[in-house]
Amino acid sequence: MPKVRRSRKPPPDGWELIEPTLEELEQKMREAETEPHEGKRKQESLWPIFKIHHQKSRYIYDLFYRRKAISRELYQYCLNEKIADANLIAKWKKTGYENLCCLRCIQTRDTNFATNCICRVPKSKLEEGRIVECVHCGCRGCSG
Amino acid sequence: MAVSKSTNTYNRQNWEDSDFPILCQTCLGDNPYIRMTKEKYGKECKICCRPFTVFRWCPGARMRFKKTEICQTCSKLKNVCQTCLLDLEYGLPIQVRDAALKIQDDLPRNEVNKEYYIQNLDSQMSKFDATQPSNMALKSKGASDLLVRLARTAPYYKRNRPHVCSFWVKGECRRGEECPYRHEKPTDPDDPLADQNIRDRYYGVNDPVAEKLMRRAAAMPALPPPEDRTVTTLYIGNLPENITEEELRGHFYQYGEIRSLTLVPRAQCAFVQYTTRSASEHAAEKTFNRLVIGGKRLTIKWGKSQGRQGPNDKSETLPALEPVPGLPGTLPPPPPAFLHPFPPQMPPPPNRPNDFFNLHHYAGPAWGAWGGVAPPIPPPPALHYPSQDPARLGAHAHASAPQT
Repeated sequence: MPKVRRSRKPPPDGWELIEPTLEELEQKMREAETEPHEGKRKQESLWPIFKIHHQKSRYIYDLFYRRKAISRELYQYCLNEKIADANLIAKWKKTGYENLCCLRCIQTRDTNFATNCICRVPKSKLEEGRIVECVHCGCRGCSG
Repeated sequence: MAVSKSTNTYNRQNWEDSDFPILCQTCLGDNPYIRMTKEKYGKECKICCRPFTVFRWCPGARMRFKKTEICQTCSKLKNVCQTCLLDLEYGLPIQVRDAALKIQDDLPRNEVNKEYYIQNLDSQMSKFDATQPSNMALKSKGASDLLVRLARTAPYYKRNRPHVCSFWVKGECRRGEECPYRHEKPTDPDDPLADQNIRDRYYGVNDPVAEKLMRRAAAMPALPPPEDRTVTTLYIGNLPENITEEELRGHFYQYGEIRSLTLVPRAQCAFVQYTTRSASEHAAEKTFNRLVIGGKRLTIKWGKSQGRQGPNDKSETLPALEPVPGLPGTLPPPPPAFLHPFPPQMPPPPNRPNDFFNLHHYAGPAWGAWGGVAPPIPPPPALHYPSQDPARLGAHAHASAPQT
């Protein structure tokens, strides 16, 4: 989400209903950004950012596709204004990716053996009692 | 001098580039399908400090990632695993292996010397078969008995477990369940095993693990051959119920010519007498604590040297007894043909006959025969008969049988 809203286009109807929640998430994001990294592992420092980003996109996605509470114009506006991540939402529409945590976890290019992240492995396929926490976004399993 | 890998060309001819690591079974882990990463000139060898190809892999579930630590030249030089530095054949520390095989090596420790030495060796090695260890002395020349006994029979995968979480030890690990390190009590820092050093382990000095193994080897039960060189008899105890003499002979004939084999089924024991001392020593060494027949581990002991023990013991322990009346006196010595009843192809018996049954002290007419001396007249009950004294005749066999 851009720091400054550049478009002069007035937001569509219903914006005032979702604005407080988005403002709250925005505030949380600010806090996460300014939080000190001391005492955290190197990977850990970005986890809250990924998490809040996911939450915000998820909020818009749910409102439009699940609860059908907002109009298509408002949804489109959110995507255009980059309030919701269109790429991430595009993945959620695919089977098996309904709960995907972040785009980095399905980026196979960055790994040694061209594999997905550990959080993409279904719980049933993991060995018994294994607890995972992926290094990219701290996801603890987003694949059933 | 910080230089990148690509710009550092110092002695680059010597940089090792390999396709496959030299590893032991334990380090590879239990999974037959392993993915390894290979990094050319990824690290410097911890022994010779030359860049080498580093391999990295995970040896199974819940194990830590392992990587090769020393270069292949150093590994071939000692025939050890590139990661754990244990002997490839026995999985034992270098110090133990070298002590058991009596290998002396004088690898240069000085930096320049070492570089020169390794360089020469490398060029030598490239001429020979790469699958063989360079040092032929290390190839098993008749597996050392000690090494076989000390070696593990199965791979020891516990060695691949993750390390103990240092944060947890300090009480500040915040990762909880997700922590890939072990949340366990660390080993005692005063434990000598906690202080290991890869170079010392490679050169086979001050290796605490090796010292522990050596101590264990020293404490192992051993069967020292008796001083009396004439003893060629082995006592075999704890025999299974239904063993036949033929079976026993089959087991013991492989170590040398057997002069006599006496099976005492009542006491579950047997006596094997070899024609030569070396054969009996060989048999004792090979079978002691190792021979299992019919699911029972046989007890192997040396026969007693009667010559020394017999008369002294008797004078101390037993009261003087009056001789039995009516026994025939000592016979005249038998003719020489009778004294050498063995066929000519067998070597003659040692100077003194092996009378582990204590027979010829009783002046019986037939030494070497088993049975007692039958008195001609039924004697009065008060009389003492050596042949019927349980403490004397054949007592060694029976006395030692129950304790097995």
